[in-house]
Amino acid sequence: MAEVSYLVFQDIEKRFSSREGKGQVAAVQNVNLQIEQGELITLLGPSGCGKTTTLRMVAGFESPSRGEILLAGERINQKPPHRREMAMVFQSYALFPHLSVFENVAYGLRLRSLLEIEVRKRVLEVLELVGLEGLEHRPPQQLSGGQQQRVALARALVLQPKVLLMDEPLSNLDAKLREQMRTEIRRIQQTLGITTLYVTHDQAEAMTLADRIVIMHRGQIEQVDVPTQIYQRPASAFVADFIGQSNLLPARVVGREGEVWIIQALEQTFRLPSTALARPLAIGEAAQLLIRPEAVCLHPRGSLRAGVQRATYLGPIVEYELTLGTQLLTVVDRDPLRPRIYPVGAEVNFDFLPGCLYLLPA
Amino acid sequence: MAQLTAPSPEVPVTLWQERWGKLAGTLLRDPTLGLGLISSILFVVLFVATPLVQVIVQAFFDSRTGDPSLEYFRRYLDPVYRGHQWRVLWNTLIMGSCTALGGTALGLIFALTLARCRVPGQRWLHYLSLLPTVSPPFAIAIAAILLFGRSGLVTRQWLGIQFRPGVNDIYGLDGIIFVQIITFFPVAYLILRALLERMDAAMEEAAMNMGASCWQVLTTVIFPLLIPGLAGSVLLLFVESLADLGNPLLLGGNAMVLSSEIFLAVNGQYDQQRGAAFSLMLLLPTLLVFLLQRYWVSQRSYISVTGKPSAGQIAITEPWIRWPLVILTGLGSLLILALYGSILVGSITRLWGIDYSLDWQHYRAAFNRGLTPILATTFLSVAATPLAVLMGILIAYLVVRKNFWGKQSLDFVSNLGAAVPGTILGIGYILAFIRPPLLVVVGATVILAWYATWSVLAQRCWGVLLLGSLLGALLRWVGPSLSYELYVGGIGGLLMAMGGVVGWHSRLWKGGLLAAVGLYLELAVVEPFVTEPIGVWGRTLGGDMAKLLTSVQAMIGVIFQLPLTLVGFVLLGVVALALRAEARLLGRLHLGLVAVSLGLAFGLIFAGEPLALVGTPYIVIAAYAVRSLPTSVRAGMAALQQIDPSIEEASINLGADTQTTFRRVTVPLIVPALLAGAIFAFARHMTSLSAIIFLTTPRWPILTAWILSEVEQGGMSTAAAYSMILIALVFGAILLMTAFAGQQLRQLGGGLDLTMGGG
Repeated sequence: MAEVSYLVFQDIEKRFSSREGKGQVAAVQNVNLQIEQGELITLLGPSGCGKTTTLRMVAGFESPSRGEILLAGERINQKPPHRREMAMVFQSYALFPHLSVFENVAYGLRLRSLLEIEVRKRVLEVLELVGLEGLEHRPPQQLSGGQQQRVALARALVLQPKVLLMDEPLSNLDAKLREQMRTEIRRIQQTLGITTLYVTHDQAEAMTLADRIVIMHRGQIEQVDVPTQIYQRPASAFVADFIGQSNLLPARVVGREGEVWIIQALEQTFRLPSTALARPLAIGEAAQLLIRPEAVCLHPRGSLRAGVQRATYLGPIVEYELTLGTQLLTVVDRDPLRPRIYPVGAEVNFDFLPGCLYLLPA
Repeated sequence: MAQLTAPSPEVPVTLWQERWGKLAGTLLRDPTLGLGLISSILFVVLFVATPLVQVIVQAFFDSRTGDPSLEYFRRYLDPVYRGHQWRVLWNTLIMGSCTALGGTALGLIFALTLARCRVPGQRWLHYLSLLPTVSPPFAIAIAAILLFGRSGLVTRQWLGIQFRPGVNDIYGLDGIIFVQIITFFPVAYLILRALLERMDAAMEEAAMNMGASCWQVLTTVIFPLLIPGLAGSVLLLFVESLADLGNPLLLGGNAMVLSSEIFLAVNGQYDQQRGAAFSLMLLLPTLLVFLLQRYWVSQRSYISVTGKPSAGQIAITEPWIRWPLVILTGLGSLLILALYGSILVGSITRLWGIDYSLDWQHYRAAFNRGLTPILATTFLSVAATPLAVLMGILIAYLVVRKNFWGKQSLDFVSNLGAAVPGTILGIGYILAFIRPPLLVVVGATVILAWYATWSVLAQRCWGVLLLGSLLGALLRWVGPSLSYELYVGGIGGLLMAMGGVVGWHSRLWKGGLLAAVGLYLELAVVEPFVTEPIGVWGRTLGGDMAKLLTSVQAMIGVIFQLPLTLVGFVLLGVVALALRAEARLLGRLHLGLVAVSLGLAFGLIFAGEPLALVGTPYIVIAAYAVRSLPTSVRAGMAALQQIDPSIEEASINLGADTQTTFRRVTVPLIVPALLAGAIFAFARHMTSLSAIIFLTTPRWPILTAWILSEVEQGGMSTAAAYSMILIALVFGAILLMTAFAGQQLRQLGGGLDLTMGGG
């Protein structure tokens, strides 16, 4: 038997009584996941997909209706939350308004009856790590959003938790600060090598931070993989659609020549290597062809032709919506040398970049 | 990897089992929470539910023979009694409706003026209008008699009206209504002002932006949004008016209403069935309104009252709307000022109506004869305050933060105690506690004992329970042949010894808890020997010192002579906390310790006449606490709802258990609410009349009831002096609290609910 992962979810299911009091609703089901020590995993999905519930089950605020959560081989389902040694950073930061920054960070240490000198040392260390030296006597309400975020992080890190849990920690910050904190969090996590479970609905956040991304949808895991694989080889139409922009065109498998599959879509024939298929399909089976907007190349000698329905100028790029019969196609054009924007109603020629097509089951 | 868990077969779980399982789980995991839940339920069952049920039952049984009887309901049809019976009901309804409508109208005028008209001295007008909520329930009635009575300053002195039979005077239904409107309008004012302040200014701006004039905004936006508030306030005032006892007694004259009929039946005719039957008539509309208010009006409110006041309210500037409002508010304020002024002046006037020269004799008389009630009332009010606040916070915490079956009922019943007229509660207390309420005591004992053994031992529960019961029965059997001192002192000694054993083998604090109960019992035995000489010595001094020292002696007695039944209940709770999870440390001794302590607890609970509280000061404390409970519950709930639950979760996540989190995070954050709750609980206690008028005794005279009898004896100026003293005591407490905790109270703003349990 292979070595057991650090944090393991086995067939986790969580049901809540529905609000009307009749029956139950599954918030999370069939969740199986292995997390290695030192990894940063993001749970990504639309709101209500069960990612926060999953996180709260790890923290112990919810208990699974079924299945097991194992930490370093030990079953922790029944362990009360205050004994789990998993520090959580809350979406609202949940700083104690009646305590100073220093006392907020020291709170967990004091519960462990450490010597005052040890408490001081560790608090000041971690405040320096998150860049808050000199603010330790302020009440948290007097800090900016970014600084409050850092206090919340420091309060979690100072305990050297077994797992760091973060519940949409950056969602209350403005865009610029969010980017800055993102790199900061990644830096600290790498420095400390701390196993982290990070919930977010922001795909950019997930992409930049994560070692692996877990995509959740309707309480189930859709895909677990590294960011590049998630983007380039999505496991389902939902993932393809959720991560980045995508054109999903109805397609059909018409033949196979060894490792090359022949696909028909947009009344054209495409030849795809078997690596461009999410899973092997039968001849004649309906499928969806995934084309990312940046994989469409506009040029006058292109073999396909479509009308411009909408053109949006965004500075570095121009986004077009093209109509091809009944099919809409989103295209991102980033050619800085192109002299003009195609107006609405114009006809443009284009090609799909070879090697950028991907076939999903219908 | 092999599958570790086979999918569990679907076991059919009934709703009841599931709910019970959840509750049991919660209770077992955290004994503090379990005990909190049990004690709060016990409190409301014992002091709210039981008395009310007793009243309802008593209405159908003859109080002398005990036979079932519908006598007092039959009288609504009997030609002999019919006239009177229906007239009382009719009077009551007229009084309630007029007060409700008039008070709401006056409250609306004040609210519009003070919230929207930008008048100078707004803050002072606000405080002035709140004065009636913290003054004794009949203060306005006394003032009205002084100003508009038969020898009133305005009516006879200035207008020269001679009152002969047939001339309409202040006495009667119209007088009651006038006084009640002034007394209760602040409730309407507070409700409506809160709504006006929390309206989103953008809505009114939107209306103006679309071309609505000031008047149109008022009629098309503000009034429709106020409708739930207006309805709520009308209902609430209706109930307050019906429940009021002081004003109808003072001003009723020949016009009887239900509350004064109840008082007369119990205190004049000594016919409890009659009182209970009238109570039932009073209870029905009250409960109906309470339910309407709770489940209908509150759901139709568009504006959450817990929200923050929105900034930048639009002021009413149009002169022909503004000036009538300002003038009416000014007149109203002047009237209030004149009424309170007349109490002040009346208390220092030699003989009102005849000789208006300055004289302090009424205060001398008040302090001379009334020292005992002043001291007793203050002491009992103070004593009831922590009880009310702790219970309030506990219930608020359970209701807001915890999920358990029956939570809604707990909330409901805790409110009920103050929602029902005080007279009904008072009768209920007499009926319920004149004899030991054995059913409740036994029920509570069984639940507590079972919970204690179960949470301590989990399994071998029944054997130990049986052993404990046998021991308790033995104690109860030998008890009567022992002296009180030996019995109580013996149990106390045993407990201290057991505390020593537990403290030695296990944690110190656990032993300490057990020993503390034992020590308390020893002190209870010793106390009379120490304090009795103080009283004896005091009486040799004579005069005020004698009264002072006797009162002090009695107060110390109250602290140390808690009913043994309550001590027994506490002991069961201590067992659950102190002997938990100690099997490993104490070994076989453990089972024995649990059994013996159970036996001792039973011995205490069933010693003498358990909880026959009528005549003791404890029943007054309980009545006070029940009346102010909703204020504390609401203050606690408002404070808790403002704390983001994730703050508590953060604390747990950082390694604190529930108790530590409660102590180190929740409590510091709700301290302002606790303090404010304490102030208003105290004010409520000091000024409450209807609930305690049947419970006051010569040994424990209550000031409000004392003043009432003073008025009946015609000492209007002395009554005014007493009222001033009462108002000064309440204000003193408020000032004291704000001096100590002003900063924290300011953070709280106006988040207090003063709308219940008055009178």
